Amino acid sequence: MIITLRNVNKTYPGIVPLHVLKDINLEIERGELVSIMGASGSGKSTLLNILGILDNYDSGEYLLDGVLIRDLGENRAAWLRNRMIGFVFQSFNLINYKNALENVALPLFYQGVGRRKRNAMAMEQLERMGLADRAHHLPGELSGGQKQRVAIARALVTNPSIILADEPTGALDSHTSKEVMDVFRRLNAEGMTIVIVTHDPGVGAATNRIIRIVDGQITPENA
Amino acid sequence: MKPAIFDIENWREIVATLARNKTRTFLTAFGIFWGTAMLAMLWGGARGFEGMMRRNFAGLATNLGATYPGVRSVSYKGFNKGSRWNMTVQDLEKIRRLAPAIEFSSEVNSRYATAAYGTKTKNGNVLGVEGDYAKIMTPVLSEGRFINASDVAGSRKVVVIGRNRATDLFGAESPLGKYISLNGIYFRCIGVAGQISEASIAGRIDDSFILPSSTMRRAFNWGNTVGFLVYTAPHGKSPADNEAVIRRILSSAHSLHPTDERAVGFMDASEMFSTIDGLFLGLTLLAFFVGLGSLMAGVIGVGNIMWIIVKERTHEFGVRRAIGARPLDITVQVLSESVVLTLVAGTAGVCFAALVLGIADKMTVDPVLGNAGFELPFATAIGIVLTFFVLGSAAGTLPAAKAMRIKPIEAIRDK
Repeated sequence: MIITLRNVNKTYPGIVPLHVLKDINLEIERGELVSIMGASGSGKSTLLNILGILDNYDSGEYLLDGVLIRDLGENRAAWLRNRMIGFVFQSFNLINYKNALENVALPLFYQGVGRRKRNAMAMEQLERMGLADRAHHLPGELSGGQKQRVAIARALVTNPSIILADEPTGALDSHTSKEVMDVFRRLNAEGMTIVIVTHDPGVGAATNRIIRIVDGQITPENA
Repeated sequence: MKPAIFDIENWREIVATLARNKTRTFLTAFGIFWGTAMLAMLWGGARGFEGMMRRNFAGLATNLGATYPGVRSVSYKGFNKGSRWNMTVQDLEKIRRLAPAIEFSSEVNSRYATAAYGTKTKNGNVLGVEGDYAKIMTPVLSEGRFINASDVAGSRKVVVIGRNRATDLFGAESPLGKYISLNGIYFRCIGVAGQISEASIAGRIDDSFILPSSTMRRAFNWGNTVGFLVYTAPHGKSPADNEAVIRRILSSAHSLHPTDERAVGFMDASEMFSTIDGLFLGLTLLAFFVGLGSLMAGVIGVGNIMWIIVKERTHEFGVRRAIGARPLDITVQVLSESVVLTLVAGTAGVCFAALVLGIADKMTVDPVLGNAGFELPFATAIGIVLTFFVLGSAAGTLPAAKAMRIKPIEAIRDK
C-alpha cells in the first residue's frame, strides 16, 4: 500500500464547526491510477491537502509509503513533500519569472542538488514530456497544455512516490485535457502512482478506479 | 544542507531572482541608493561649506582684539562731548606693560599714498606695523622677508610690497633691493607678501605698502600718534580680558570719562569666531538630522517595499513551500535579497555622493586657498553603508517573518 487512511477526521473550527471529513478509510496501491471525485464542498480538496501533507487532520492515521504522517513540523513536512510527492495544480503554479527548465529544477534546488546536475535532471524530464525545445521559454510563452506538462515534469523530477493532481485539466480545453490525461496514463503505465482530484466525469473515466466522496464520506465502491 | 550564506546555489538563486524582476529591483535599489547618497552628500557637503568658510580666515589669529581711539560721548575735564583724541606710543607702552592678556601685539597705522617706481605710479594703502604683526596676520612671502623688530627699532626706511602692488609697479621684475617712493619719500624694498585670509586688518597685505610703524610715523609727520593697537590673547584667555585695564590707562592719560563707553573702541574677533563656530555646529546638526531623516525614509522605504514584495509573492512562496522549501529557506531568500540590494545600492549611493562631492571640491578650489574639503572620509562612507545594511536588514525582518508564516495551502489555493 502506498497510501493508507484509517478513520481520518477533519473539522474546521469556527462558530459552527465544519466536519469536512468523516471517518475516511482509503487504500491506494502502488502503481494505481485513481481519481477522487466529488461535488464542490464535498471535502475532496481537504482530502487532497491531507494526502499532500499540506494540511493536518484531527484524528485517525495516514501512512504514506510506510511513513506515518501525523503532527509533523513545517520542516519535516516540507522535506517529505519534496521527496515523496509530486504536485500538479489546476493553475499550473509555475514561477513566472523562471524558464521551464528552472521551474522543473526548483524542487532539486531545495534538496541541495548542484545546478549542473539539477539542470541535467530537469532536462531529462522535459524531454520525457516532449518539451526539450521549450526549456528556455518562460511560462508566459507557453500554451496551457505545455505549462501543465512543465508542471508534470516538475512533479516527476524528484522521483516521488506518488503524484497528486488537483483538477489538472480544469483550466484546459477538451483537446488539451485529453493530451494531459494521455500523459498521466503513460506515466502510470511506466509504474507511477497517480491520484487525480476532479469533478470532471471525463477525467474520472480515464482513470482505473474512481473514489467518490459525498459530504465528507467515501461512498462504497461500485455503488 | 550547508548554511545558506556559504551556498553558491543560494546566491545564484538570489541574483537570478533580482535580475529577472528588474522594475521591482530597480525601485527598491533606488530608494536605498538615494538615501545613502543624500546622507553622504549632506555629510561631505557640510564639511565642504565649513571648509569654504574657514579658509576665509586662514592665517588670521582667531583670538584677536584691537583697541582704537573713539569719540567722547560725555563732556569731562574741560573736553567737550564729541571731541576726538589720539592714542600715542606712550599709551601702547603702558598697555603692553599692564594689560593682563596680551600675547602678541602690534601698532597699526594706515593712510593712503601715491607710490612711484620709475615712471609708474600707483595709489595705495600704506600700513605701518611692528614685527609681531606677522604673528597676528600670517603674511605669505613670495620674496624677501617681512618687517621685523629691528626695522622698527631703527626706523629703517624699508618697505614690504603687497603682491598686487608689486605687479602694478614692477611687472615681472623683482622689486627686491629697489627703491620706491611713497608721497616722494624713498624706501628700499625688502619683500613681497600677500595673505591667505579673506578677512584683513586695515587693508589686505596684497594691496598695501607695509612700513615699520616707527618709520611711518616719522615719514608722514605723525609724531607720537598711532592708529590703533591689535593684539592676541594667550591660549585660554580672551582679548576682552584686557578691556578694563586698557580703559583705565587711556582714561587717565587722555581725560576721558571712566565710564564713557564710546571714548575707547574695542574689537573682539573671538566673539565673531564663536558666532561662526556656532553656525558650523548648527550646519552640522542640520546635516545630521536631515541625513538621519533621509536614512529613516530609506530604511522605511526598504521595509515597505519588502512588505509589498512579500504580499505580491505570497503565491510564489506558497508554490515554493509546496514543492519542498522550508520556512527558513523562504526567510533566507527574502532577507538575502534585501541584504544584497542594500549593499549594492548603498555602495553605489556612496560612490555617487563621493563623485558629486569630488566635482564640488574641484569647482570650489581656489588657487591660493586650496580646496574646501568637500569630501567623504572612507570610514564615514563605510559607516553609512553598514548603517544602511543593518537598518535595511532590520526593516526586512518583519516582511521576512511574514513570508515565513505563509502556508502553502493558503497560497496555492486556486481562485
